[in-house]
This record gives sequence, structure tokens and C-alpha cells, in this order.
Amino acid sequence: MSKTALVTGASRGIGLETARRFILNHDDITTVVMFARDSEDFDEAVRQLESELPIGRRIVPIKVDVGARPALKKAVKQAYDQVGNIDILVNNAGYTNPVPLQQVKMSDFEKTMEVNLYGPFTIVKTLLNRGNTFDLIVNIASTAGINGRSGWLTYSASKAAVINMSQVMREELSIYGTRVVCLSPGRTATALRRTLAPDEDPTTIMQPEHVSQVIYTLCSPVGRFIDSENIVVRQ
Amino acid sequence: MYSLILLNGGIGSRTGADQPKQLLKLRGIPILVYALISADRVEKISQIVVNYPPNWREKIEEVLEAYAISTPVTLVEAGDSRHSSVAAMIPHCTNDDVIIHESARPLVRSSDFQQLIDSQFRNVSLMSEISFTVAPVDPETSAVTGSLDRSRLRNVQLPQKFSRSDLQEAHDSAVEKQIEYTEDATLVADHGFPVHFIEGSDENFKVTTKTDLKMAGFLLRPEEDDDE
Repeated sequence: MSKTALVTGASRGIGLETARRFILNHDDITTVVMFARDSEDFDEAVRQLESELPIGRRIVPIKVDVGARPALKKAVKQAYDQVGNIDILVNNAGYTNPVPLQQVKMSDFEKTMEVNLYGPFTIVKTLLNRGNTFDLIVNIASTAGINGRSGWLTYSASKAAVINMSQVMREELSIYGTRVVCLSPGRTATALRRTLAPDEDPTTIMQPEHVSQVIYTLCSPVGRFIDSENIVVRQ
Repeated sequence: MYSLILLNGGIGSRTGADQPKQLLKLRGIPILVYALISADRVEKISQIVVNYPPNWREKIEEVLEAYAISTPVTLVEAGDSRHSSVAAMIPHCTNDDVIIHESARPLVRSSDFQQLIDSQFRNVSLMSEISFTVAPVDPETSAVTGSLDRSRLRNVQLPQKFSRSDLQEAHDSAVEKQIEYTEDATLVADHGFPVHFIEGSDENFKVTTKTDLKMAGFLLRPEEDDDE
């Protein structure tokens, strides 16, 4: 069966590793739509993946900022018109700018919510309103959304909201037979982690490919037996 | 192919709400949506004719749009009674076979529609066994007048399917005879057309009261709530 996946934040880290694993290794996924902001990283990632593509598989890169709602809606509609039904959605794109409470700029708090919370919501709503039926939605939250962390107010709050939103999606979308999984990685060697913990040695913590392997398993036949409101992945 | 007549014109006076019951939320989703989504998945249903209570068309259209029902929908204003509503909806059906359902039965499954479609008979209703005893009485004298064999009685459910011409003819004849029916399987049978039944599930009940709403919500909860 030919399936289509959409992965956000696909230019690097967990998003890129997930897109790569889907298109190169998954038996059923033949199209992966990759959402990411315009960057050299993204161009290079697309070039690299295209050079490795097996016959009959395709990637559809779309340059969009998940935090820019009108552009995001347009990109989602473009993707739907181009590839049809999105069977698997991985809401991975994330943003953080960790500062103490007293120094949080409202505009930055709003940006964090736009990317981490409203972005995933907008993608799901826009597709549902167009008649899309998902098999699986994976929302990437964070262990920081389970327990708030000092200095990470905006990020922790946004990820707590993602965990809660996933619970609601899981209930409401069950009428379509859609599975909704929230995945909360702990410390993972990504660019976002470098922003949160600049002094940490990234080689000592979990790698993006480890998280992508868990996402891949959720999309495999055995994945439907893994059932939890919030799956924690940590080293 | 089939046209689905989805009865959705009630004003829900018995639920005591300030809006029609089909717009009340069941696990956060308008009741009407459950039947629409179950029917939308059935390939052989190529048209859905939905009626709406007077003044509620806009709200019903909002729901249809938000949930992106892909089967073409025809909207018809509800009549004064269930009987007259069905009669008004039949001419809007574009297929020779019709299925009748009501949005107040949200626990209907796609397989219930499919079971009807797969039946070898043309006029068929889902019906369930009666688990209690029914007695014939004379309400005026309060006398019990005999007994009924419940193995020969059935609880009439929806959905039902009919040949459109049989249904139309039965309705025309009922108008002539000035008889009002509360459902269509007995109406069509009473007018001489063969009607059969297949076993329906007792979960596919009609939500009428606040208690029914609670029960439907309980049955629709995620299955993992049953896990130990």
C-alpha cells in the first residue's frame, strides 16, 4: 500500500532523520513531504536525499516557516493538492529561546507558541477541513512539557500544551480511526538542544536517529500496539 | 448506488437543551457528525439528503463544512412530523435505492449500512430482539387484554433500506388514507410491499433523553478505559 507522510522541521535533527528513514526504509511510504524554512541546511538535505532515493519513491520539499500561519496554511493546501491524502503526519518543528521569566518578551513567547503549538494545530485543522483522513499523527513534545524547567518557561509551557492538545486530538479523531501519539524526547543532540544547553557535549546524549527510529516503529505494523498518551523517549 | 435520507430535523424538546439535540456535543463532537462520518465511509452511498429544523440551516452547513463530508449533501427543510419529513426528502433522492437513518442514532457503524446494502432483499430494516415483555392493554379500562409472543416482535431500528418507488408509493397511499406512521418499515409493509429485517445491535439506540446522552458517551469512550 502506498502511503504519504508529511514531516515538519525536516531540514535537520529529528525531522530530517525521520524523513530519511521513512523514504529509504519504510515498506509503504512512497512519498515524503518535507516542510522546513528556507536554509542551506535544507537545500543540502534535499540534495543528499534525492541522490539516495530508491525507484518509485519521491520527496516533496516545501519551504515554509511553521510559525507563519498564513504561509503555513498555503503550504499545507499546496501539499494536499500536489500529493493527495497525508496518511502520516509528524509535527516535529520546534523553536525555543530560553530566558528567565523576567526577561521573556511577549513577542518571543508568541513565536514559541506559533511554532510549537499553533503550527501543528493549523496543519491538522487545514487538512481535516479539506477531507484528509490521517492514519497516524505524531506530535513531538518534550519531557520539558511534563515538568516545567527553570529558565525554559515559554518552551515548557508550549510543550505542555502540545501534550494536552494531543490528548484531545486523540479522542476527537478516533471517529476517523486516526491514531494520535505524543512523543516526548528527553535530551537529544539537536540544534534546539544546543540553544537550551550550550555547554553540553552532544555526543554524550541521545541522537536524532534514535528518536526517528522510535517514530519509524510507531509507523510500522507493530506500531499500533504501542499505545500511550505520551511516550517518553530518553537515554 | 444509494441515497441516504438522514433525518435531522428534530428540535430535541425532550433533551431540554436550547438547541436541536443533533447539534449537542457527544464527547465534544456534534451528535450529527457521527452518522455522517459512518455514512461517508460507505462507498455505495453516493448522496446524503439531510433535513434541518427551520432556522437551523446555517448551523448544519457549518458542521458539514468543518467535517469535510465528501459525499454530496442535499439539504431539505424539515416538515411538521417525521412522516412528512421523509415524504419531502424522497423526491430529492437521485438513486433508485434509499437508506433511511436518523442523526439521533450516533452509534451507527459503517458496517451497519454495509450489512443493509449487502442484504439480498430490497426493503430491509435493522431490528433488535425485545428483551422485555410487552402486554396488550385497554388504556381506557386499564385492563390487560391478553399476551403477546415476544419472539414474534422486534424493536424497529434504523438504518433501513427501501426501493425508492416502493417507499414513494407507500407514502402516497398513506397520505390518501390519512394515516401517519412513526417509521417506514411498517409503513411500507402495511402497504403490501415485502419488507425483511436483519439483526441490529442494541448499542445502536436512539438518543432521546439526557440519560441516553450519558449512555452514548459512555459507549463511545476509548476502549482502553476497559483495560485493567
